[in-house]
Amino acid sequence: MTVIESKEVAGAAPLLETSGLSRHFKVGGSIFSHQLLHAVDDVNLTINEREIVALVGESGSGKSTMARLLAQVYKPTTGEIRFQGKNLSELRGRKQQLKYRSDVPMVFQDPFASLNPVYKVSHGILRGMKLHRPDLNSAEARHEELLRVVAAVGLNPPEEIVERYPYELSGGQRQRIGFAQALAYRPKLILADEPVSMLDVSIRIGLLNVMAKLRDEEGVSFLYITHDIASARYVSDRLMVMYGGHVVEEGPTEAVLADPKHPYTQLLLSAVPDPRAPLEVTSEAAKAEPPAVIDPKPGCRFRARCPLAVDVCAHVTPILQPLTPTHRAACHVTAPAP
Amino acid sequence: MKFASLVKNRKALVGLILFALTVLLAAFPGLFTSVHNPGEIGTYGPNLGPSTGHLLGTTSYGQDIYSQLVYGARQVLEIALLAGAFATVLAVLIGITAAYMGGIVDEALSLVTNVVLILPTFPLMIILAKYAGQSNEVMIIVLVATGWSYGANQMRAQALSLRNRDFLEAARVRGERRSYIILFEMLPTMTSLIVANFLGSALYSVLAASGLQFIGLGNTDQQSWGTMLYNAHSMEALQAGNALWIIAPGLAIALLSAAFALMNYAFDEIGNPALRPVRRKDLRRSRKAERLAAQAADPHAEKGARDADPDVYADAS
Amino acid sequence: MPTPTSTQTPPDPTAEPLLDVRDLRIVYDSPRGPVEACSGVNLTVRPGEFVGIVGESGCGKSTLLFGIAQLHTAPARIAGGQVLFGGADLVTMPQKELNDLRWRRLAVVMQSAMNALNPVRTIGDQFKDAILAHEKWGEEKIAERSAEVMRLVAIDPVHLRSFPHQLSGGMRQRAMIAMALLFTPDLIVMDEPTSALDVVAQRSLMVQIKELQQQLGFAVVFVTHDMSLVSHFSDRLLVMYAGQVVEFGPTRTVFDTPSHPYSRSLLEAFPSIRGPKVPLTGIPGDPPNLANPPAGCRFNPRCPQVHERCRTDAPELFDVAETGVVSRCLAHHPSDPLDLSESPTPNPDSDAELEVQS
Repeated sequence: MTVIESKEVAGAAPLLETSGLSRHFKVGGSIFSHQLLHAVDDVNLTINEREIVALVGESGSGKSTMARLLAQVYKPTTGEIRFQGKNLSELRGRKQQLKYRSDVPMVFQDPFASLNPVYKVSHGILRGMKLHRPDLNSAEARHEELLRVVAAVGLNPPEEIVERYPYELSGGQRQRIGFAQALAYRPKLILADEPVSMLDVSIRIGLLNVMAKLRDEEGVSFLYITHDIASARYVSDRLMVMYGGHVVEEGPTEAVLADPKHPYTQLLLSAVPDPRAPLEVTSEAAKAEPPAVIDPKPGCRFRARCPLAVDVCAHVTPILQPLTPTHRAACHVTAPAP
Repeated sequence: MKFASLVKNRKALVGLILFALTVLLAAFPGLFTSVHNPGEIGTYGPNLGPSTGHLLGTTSYGQDIYSQLVYGARQVLEIALLAGAFATVLAVLIGITAAYMGGIVDEALSLVTNVVLILPTFPLMIILAKYAGQSNEVMIIVLVATGWSYGANQMRAQALSLRNRDFLEAARVRGERRSYIILFEMLPTMTSLIVANFLGSALYSVLAASGLQFIGLGNTDQQSWGTMLYNAHSMEALQAGNALWIIAPGLAIALLSAAFALMNYAFDEIGNPALRPVRRKDLRRSRKAERLAAQAADPHAEKGARDADPDVYADAS
Repeated sequence: MPTPTSTQTPPDPTAEPLLDVRDLRIVYDSPRGPVEACSGVNLTVRPGEFVGIVGESGCGKSTLLFGIAQLHTAPARIAGGQVLFGGADLVTMPQKELNDLRWRRLAVVMQSAMNALNPVRTIGDQFKDAILAHEKWGEEKIAERSAEVMRLVAIDPVHLRSFPHQLSGGMRQRAMIAMALLFTPDLIVMDEPTSALDVVAQRSLMVQIKELQQQLGFAVVFVTHDMSLVSHFSDRLLVMYAGQVVEFGPTRTVFDTPSHPYSRSLLEAFPSIRGPKVPLTGIPGDPPNLANPPAGCRFNPRCPQVHERCRTDAPELFDVAETGVVSRCLAHHPSDPLDLSESPTPNPDSDAELEVQS
């Protein structure tokens, strides 16, 4: 059996790029409060064609907000998002908006809530096709495509599955329908927000394999958002670790896992239960919780839990420094600025 | 909507029968009584007791009570169904819009809803009816104006809880227009609540309309049960020994209200399977099946091919 | 200082079991007929032992836990078997005796602290409620004990005055465990207490539970869907599938040499972060409908090593020689074992799920 190889597309223009992307939310009890929650701060993200990028972090890291920024559920507070070279804020008119939505659809976390229970499972897919696939101009063409995408995600026999209601399918099957919905748009990039965390472990692998298959056979890229670094390793080509709204480490998955530079990445890895390996010592850092970043001062957001923290960490926000041309980390101690 | 379940539910079945009976009475009064003009005064002898010719006796005016009852069904039903329907439509529109739009729209609509909700309804109805006249249309308007707010709050609450459900977010991300999402994605999941709301409004209308008619603010030209009560009361029927004149319309009002209430129970249970009681007969059947299975001494005895219960949503929340 | 990876003094294997579940059957009365959620479950827990119960959704593990703690409500009912706790059968015990036992000797920690804790009362008040339900202590003693248990789980006792929403997820869960420790029970039963937490908080909580267990000597029954989570902490592991126990034995043995194909497949469905990256297949298909379970071995429609016999003969729990493990697979039949090395007779591909070809 071949080992799944990571794909390095050298030189080609990125499919999606963000630069300095930030999203802040107003919080606080009164109408007059000016407290800002920095959910995402200054994120530069790149996704190439035919690539699965995993965005890993715990709750409060900003990963879900990133998904919603890219899906245009939220508008960026600062920074820009460029898809195929074009800035998203320059999209004018419903037609252009729809085109973006069909190029970059989203798959949701909860298979039990992501399908409307009163309609058959084909409903969402057919609606999507009506909105985004003008090339399918007859009911027969749409039906054919419906069966094709349902089969492509591994649900057989497709003619029977599309006639069922959501409650007649299992969690794993519903999630596959979610992928089929996205696939029906002929997307370039699928945003998958924790698509497998609510499924049983033995079902997860099936769906992760579907993602890899879609990347290989249909040429679709994925942004795979998860808190499970093991599944991120299994399916992704590149890995980005987020903490407190910042990207703290990024690079080709194997490279990052083989030599994690940021103390948070190291902490995450040590916390992952692996029955085949002996238990690693949990540091004191494990006891604390990720922060809610409200009106932050400059400085590293991990310093309160970091065993390596030094004086400069409290005053200067570290930025991503390249350790190799592709592997970068944001830490004053392990990846100092030159 | 699973009508089979409606029939299986015993409470609903009773309600449905009572309701159907009233509809028949309203639609085909001629089938039930040979009298054509029950309002005509002096046709028969006054205050006659029940007999084969007059099943419920006659009024002090010499009218046949039974045929008044039959013809009276139409007005009550018309008012109940129309007022119930309009009140529900208003409640749905306002409640869902408030929930979905959020922000200042929500604040404004909620303010209006809550103010109308706390207004004292009966005095308000009396004032409106007194000044606007005593036709059926006015009655309906009055009932709708005072009855929509309770439902609007319910709809808003339900829509709020649905608002961030993934399937609605999926529709947004799909690029659907807001109006489409409200009408075709959100509304269909709320049908149980909307029907229940309609039945509740109809129930409220029956009682409120009868109440208004009882104090003389109804349409006295047409036959109706409330007006019968009004007449009976003003002619001091009880003192005259004609208890049936009061009991008959009173009981009819009560039974129609009960019909709506009973049907309402069923929609609650259909909409939320968690509320369904494990019926005694199912328990017995279930234990019997177990015994038979044990007797057959085959641990995998066929208990009957049972697929997933199509009435149960996998996630009721 | 190294964290202990297993109990320093392992529980005495010859001791009388603290909890002895015998042939427990729990049935749900549905309108369509009885559905057996737990079919003849046997389980023992020795004093001070940590037993992990592992399984996926629909396997019956939560039902089992509720049945053990006698917390099940209609339409679930116990249709047979015994739950012997310290020798007394909880199933037939009168309510008053059960209440005496609860919290003093048997405590429960639920899955989601946010759902289990009253959102409008402080943590301290809820501790007080729990204490007063069982003992008539004075204010001072209540305060003292509450502070003590909070310190045990590494929460500053000042949080006794906090409301649940003011604490983080990890802290709330630890507060639940503190509440369970108020009377230092003999057995604490936990239903997926870590599933709502992030991986770092999960690890921290597990270590905490293990440390407390060694410090105070209580036994733990820990239900989870995540096998790897309990792998380092449990003494014995019980794997459930479709309402039955399919494997039960010392944790290390079950992990290193799983005796049941389901345990084996389940272990293999966990992608590893170390070692070479290999394509995995998970387990195709779905768990069976318990209203109508498959004939023969319940795992047969999904088993990668299924044989014809598996479809007709329902296996019992057989002892696997010299390992202390019991397994519900015909391969371990004492007189007529199935030879798994023979080529399997796989199911025709009729399921809705298709295994993705690698």
